Formats: sequence, C-alpha cells, structure tokens
Amino acid sequence: MTERSNSLSEWLEARLPVISAFRREYVDFAMPRNLNYLWNFGAFATIALGLLILSGIFLALNYTPTVTEAFASIEMIDRQVSSGWLVRAIHMGGVSMLFASLYVHIGRGLYYGSYKAPRELLWLTGLGLLLLVMTTAFAGYILPWGQMSYWGATVVINALNSLPVIGKPLAAWLLGGEGLGNTALHRIYVLHFVTAFSIVGFVVLHVAALHVAGSNNPTGIEPAKPDDTVPFHPYYTTKDGLGLCLFLMVYAGLIFFAPDILTLADNYAQANPLVTPRDITPEWYFAPFYAILRAVPSKLGGLLLAAGSLGVLFAVPWLDASPVRSARYRPILRIALPILFLAFIALGAAGMHPPTGFWLWISRIAVTYWYLYFLILLPYLPRVEIPKPLPSSLQEPRG
Amino acid sequence: MTQDGAPTSSSTQCSSGKGGTRRRDVLATVTAGVGCAGACALAYPFLDSLNGTRNSRVGEDDTVDVDLSAIPPGQQTVVTWRGWPVFVQRRTAAMLASLQAPGAAQRLRDPESKILQQPKDATNWHRSVVPEIGVLIGICTHLGCVPSYDTPSPADQSGKYACPCHGSQFDIAGRAYKNAPAPYNLPVPPVTMVSETHLRIGLSKGDPDFDIANIQQI
Amino acid sequence: MKRFFIATLLLAGGSAHASTPEQRGFQVFRQICSSCHSLNYVTYSDLTGLGVSVPDIKSYASQHQVPDGLDEDGDPKTRPAHPSDHIGSPYPSESMARMANHGGLPPDFSRLALTQEGGPQRIIHILKSYTAPPAGTKLPLGAFYNTAMPHLHIAMPQPLHDGQVKYADGTTATIPQMANDVTAFLNWTARPHLKARHQTGIFVLAYLAGLAVLLGILKRRVWKRLKSPE
Repeated sequence: MTERSNSLSEWLEARLPVISAFRREYVDFAMPRNLNYLWNFGAFATIALGLLILSGIFLALNYTPTVTEAFASIEMIDRQVSSGWLVRAIHMGGVSMLFASLYVHIGRGLYYGSYKAPRELLWLTGLGLLLLVMTTAFAGYILPWGQMSYWGATVVINALNSLPVIGKPLAAWLLGGEGLGNTALHRIYVLHFVTAFSIVGFVVLHVAALHVAGSNNPTGIEPAKPDDTVPFHPYYTTKDGLGLCLFLMVYAGLIFFAPDILTLADNYAQANPLVTPRDITPEWYFAPFYAILRAVPSKLGGLLLAAGSLGVLFAVPWLDASPVRSARYRPILRIALPILFLAFIALGAAGMHPPTGFWLWISRIAVTYWYLYFLILLPYLPRVEIPKPLPSSLQEPRG
Repeated sequence: MTQDGAPTSSSTQCSSGKGGTRRRDVLATVTAGVGCAGACALAYPFLDSLNGTRNSRVGEDDTVDVDLSAIPPGQQTVVTWRGWPVFVQRRTAAMLASLQAPGAAQRLRDPESKILQQPKDATNWHRSVVPEIGVLIGICTHLGCVPSYDTPSPADQSGKYACPCHGSQFDIAGRAYKNAPAPYNLPVPPVTMVSETHLRIGLSKGDPDFDIANIQQI
Repeated sequence: MKRFFIATLLLAGGSAHASTPEQRGFQVFRQICSSCHSLNYVTYSDLTGLGVSVPDIKSYASQHQVPDGLDEDGDPKTRPAHPSDHIGSPYPSESMARMANHGGLPPDFSRLALTQEGGPQRIIHILKSYTAPPAGTKLPLGAFYNTAMPHLHIAMPQPLHDGQVKYADGTTATIPQMANDVTAFLNWTARPHLKARHQTGIFVLAYLAGLAVLLGILKRRVWKRLKSPE
C-alpha cells in the first residue's frame, strides 16, 4: 500500500496541494478549545444546505415548470414517484432546518461579538448568504404553484413594484412582460437554481474568511498560548458529529412525524388567480419580516422598514462601539440582546397572525426595539455600560 | 453527511497512552463505519426517485389491437406499443417464398432464430404466429434507429428492411444479414391473433410467460 | 345511476376482504362520493397503497372513460381508463360540474383532509350534522340544512344514509360508520405515504440515536485527554 500511494499523493501534492490544504484547514486547523455547542450551527447549516441541494436536484428531475403542469408534477412526486415523497420531505424540511440553523448561528454571532474586527468580512459574507438563502427559499416556494405560492409571489412582486426607481424594471424583468404566468414561473425556476448554487460559492467565501481570522469563542478573547487551541480533528469533528446527530434527529422527527406543522395546507390547493386564500401567511422563516411589513400603515414605509431590518445587520460591525466582544462581559447588553431575540420571535409570531389588535401592537413594539437596539444601544451603550473585567485567558473558568 | 463519517482516520495527536488509544480506535472505526453506512442509506431515496413513476404503475394493460383488413398484401402499417414502433406486415406468397429460398439462410446471422429475440410461438421460419402476418419491433439491433421498409418490387419480390443509420439489413422476417453491423434479428413482440382480421400486440397466447424485457437486445 | 348500479353489483359479488377503515371508505367514495367529487391527482394504481388488489383496480379503472385524443373525423375520442390514469372527475369539465351542482364546484378530494380547515375531524362532523330543518327555516336555493356549518346550510345534499352501502366485510353501514370510513379514506388520499413515512422515521431515528451514542462516547474520550493534566 504505502509506497505506491505515497508516490501518488506526492505526485498529486506537487501539482495540486489539496491533501496538505485539507490537512491544514480541516485536520490540524487550530480551534479555540472552549467553543460551546452554539458553534455547531454553522455545520448544521452546511449539512442542511447539502441535503437541500441534493434533494433539489432529484426533485428537479421530475418537476415541470409550467403553469398547467407544475402543481400536478409536484403531486406526482408526492404520490407516484418512487421515494418521491421522501425526497420532497427532505427538501421541505431542509428549508426550515437551514433557516433555524442560520438564525441561531447569527444570534450566536451577535451574542459573542463574532462580527467585530478582524471578522467583519466573515459577518458580511454570512449576511450575504442569508439574503441568497432567502431569495432561493422564496423562489422555491413559488415552484409548486399552489395557492400560497401564487399569492405569496403576487404580494412580493407587487411589493417589489413599489420600490422607487429599480422596482418596476426588476418586476418587469422577472415577469417577462406579462402577469404571473408561464414566463415568470420559468424564470423563477431558473432563479431558484442560480441562487442555490451561488449559495455554495458564498459558503466557500464565508469559510475562507473564517479560516483567515479563525473562530471566535465564548470569551471573545483571541487564543494566545498554544494550548488555548486544539486541532479541528479529532476534537471538533467529534463534537460537530455529535451535534449533527442530534440536529438530524430533530430534522428526521420533523419530516417523518410532523410534516404538516411547517407547511401551510393551502399550498396543497392549486393556484387559482381568481380566489385569494383567506389568511395568507408566509412560511415561518419569513414571518418576522412580514410582520414588519404589515406593522407600518404605509406601503413603501413597511417595505423599507422590513428591508432595513436586515440592512441594519450589515452595519453592525461599525455600529457596535464597544471594544469588548462577548456579551458575557457586558452586563447591560447581556440583557438587551436576549430581548432582541425575543422581539424577533415575537415578530415571527405576529407574522403568522392577522395584523389586528394585539398582534399589530406586538409587532410595532418589537420592530421599534429592533431598530432601537441596533441604532441606539449598540453605538451609545458603551458610554454608560461598565464591562466586567476580562479574564486573562480564554481558558479561565467562568466566574 | 460526510461529517458523520469524518471522525475516521486515526488521531493526529500522539497517543496519550496505554489501553485507551486502542479502544478509541476501535470505537472510531465502528462510528465511522456506522456513519458511512448511514450516508449510503441516504443515497437510496435519491436514486430510487430516478425510477420515476415506474414502480407505482401496476396492472398496466399495455396491449394494442391492430385491424389487419386495412393492410394490403406486401404493405405494412406501423403502430406504437410501449413507445416502440411496431411493423405489422401482410406478406405475399413471393415474400414467404423468399424466406425459404435455398441459400437465403447462408446470408443470415441467425437464420433459425436461436437467439431469444421472439416468443416461442414465433420461433419458426417465418418468425410470426401465422406466416402471412409478420409483426416486428422496428428498432435496429445495432444502435436503435428505425429501419425503413423496402416494399417488394417487380425486381425484388422479397422486400427487406434497411437501416438508414449504418446500413444494417434485415429480411422480411427481421433476420439480420451478415456483413452488416446489426448483431441480432429484429425483436418480435408477443402477439395473439384475436380473429382473422385482428391481432393483439402485448399478449402471447402461445408463450404466455414471454417477457419482452428478457430478450437479448432491443 | 347506471354506473352506481354496476359498482354495487361488482362489489357485492367481489372481494370480501375489505376490512381497514380506508378500504371501506374507498367503497363509500366509489359508490357515493365519486358521483360528484373528483380525485384529480390520485391514480387508480395508487389504490394498491390501500391494499386494493390489482384485478379490482383494473376493473374499477375500466369502468371509466378518459379522453383519448381525436378520432379520424377530428372528434374527441375516449377509451376505458388504464390503472395509471388519474381517477379524475365525474364531470367532463368544471362548468359542467358547476351546472350540475347549482353553481357550486364539489371540492377535489385529493388533499381535502389537509386543506379543509379543521381537518378530518371537521369532515366527519359535517357528514354527521345533517338533520331535518326546524319548522319555518328558510334555506337558500340549492342549500341543505347542516348544523355544522356557520350559517346552518351547505351546498351538498346529505350524501350518507344508513345502510346505503353494503360493506363487503359485513360492517353495518350506519352514517357515523360511513363518515368515519370515508374520512379515513380522505386522510389516506391527503397523506398517501403516511405509514411508510412513520416506519422509515422510526428506523432513521433509531439509527441516528445509535450513532449519537457512539459519537457521544467517542467525543468524551477524545476531550478527556485535554482535561487530564499532562
């Protein structure tokens, strides 16, 4: 075995050093030794993305992107295609698992200050990924051409239309000069693919940026001594592996035992341009932004506020004026940030309910807090907040 | 998924001692094996979905009835059965004679139809259930083109099939000529004569166990 | 009516092994519901998932005509349905279906148990809530009294009557029995692979739990090396 495989690996190594690169980046790569399980969610998102792409390719082989055939072809996949129901379940469940992982992943980044120098680009590529994932998910949701697909697309394209300057041409290009019909469906199908594979490209960028700066850790203190870090393998391969098993168990529980809870039943009725379903609600992962859209009694205002709630995240590395990374050592932020997470969840809940009374006010309060946090608390809190003393090393026990 | 199988290779750390390393290596190997098995199992639904709706189509009654009264002697009509073109010919006495002409067999690759390309009740000199009616699947056994039918002419009363793609030639019973690329005779589908003027493709009364999927080549 | 009659005869003389609620529900669908309601996305051969035998499926399919292109004169042609055809609608077009039902369209059954608000329980409830209207009730034209509906009327005439179906397995066909059975059938059409889904799920979860235990032990052993002083 040894001599020939050695010479082969040397031959390869001399021409394309993939083996040493893999070893450097994924085997020996130095990781802070104190990462908690929240650091698993990036791996979760990667696995969910992989399963989405894989199942998506196989779904595409049986799907027909025309107005008359799309719904029937999805029904055929669910009913008649061998294991089609399972492939589709993996795809549908995967979206929710991906979004859930991303939201936790981003929340962790906010909590431990993973966006601060020198990791700004890591943060920005991550947000770029989020936008691409959202676009892909939206495009994908239209493809089955159910009632929710059709009316969700109608609402979003009309919203797009109301954007100043770029709105009208963008919507026109998407629709191809007619209403929401065959041309649009075909374009949205292609868009779904293009953005899906761009996500893979962005993941490469994101991981490359990660491997320049290295992982942040719960203390926010950069590793200093050699024994502050451990090699990725076997420490984090086993830890990620264990986390992944639990993640996949949740995923499996969802697709095998609760496939209905994450999808809206109305999408099992074919699109009917003459009848709007009674409650149009978006999928849960869009619900927070949908709630913001409806919280404002102005078309453009709601749109800008919803888009801005994501946009403001891009500015976070420069909005946060505190030199301390981890919220662990910031007594006020440690309370303010979990409230932000609660506000996000409240917005999600509000987005799934009719925008009246209680839920309308919940969403207004939550969106106000959202902007308050990013535009006031992040820049000005450090002036009044006295951080707790930082430990001298990331290995110091929490106290 | 690969992550499941990732903690595979032996540790890069130097072993920390005694019996622990060995035990962990066994455990690591078992875990990796189980993880890889899971990844392989995951491939099943994806690959299975490539079967399309095939497995859910049961009891499909795929027979085609052909009215023979509309076919003049020496001519053929083409019907589709399972998506394949099927030639149904009414043979003249001269065509039948040409099949048995002395010396004809020497020019054929498989004159006796020994290779399984037809049901048992068509394994005969005329490769059909009744001599006057020939039924062939019109797919060249070379590379799958549809051979064209040369109707009998005063010069050549036997008629034949010639494949436009690579020049394969078949006699009127679909037997492949030597010195041409097609290796096997044209397939004969299962056929039952319902009456003098009607035949049914897809069902063989004389060879009920015949399955077109089992023939040498289509 | 004629089709109804033939179906009854066939079933009476046919298989005596219909026993699951879904199978009995299919019998109710076949003899009662299918005269107005469609199953646009379910094929005849899908019924094997209920345990209906292939010969039964073939004979059921062959009783229905489906469009088959145009004949030589350019007129629409029909042929008996194949098992791979969709069960489809009893009406040739949507407008015909509306015409026959006072302008209303009988909903398609393929996903009804999913799309109906309240799900299967609601369907059972509606089917059991037909009673004689109290004296003096004025119903709109083409509406029928039903206490389950918000306005106490529904466009569907009472579909089920005691003893209307003669179950092949000898079950007494009361209205609640038939309502439960046909809803079980609808639940199957809406969630066609539920059984396989659950079975696969148990396997997958058991596998993942096993793998998690292995990885848990492995991870602990690996990380223990760090904690012990060198």
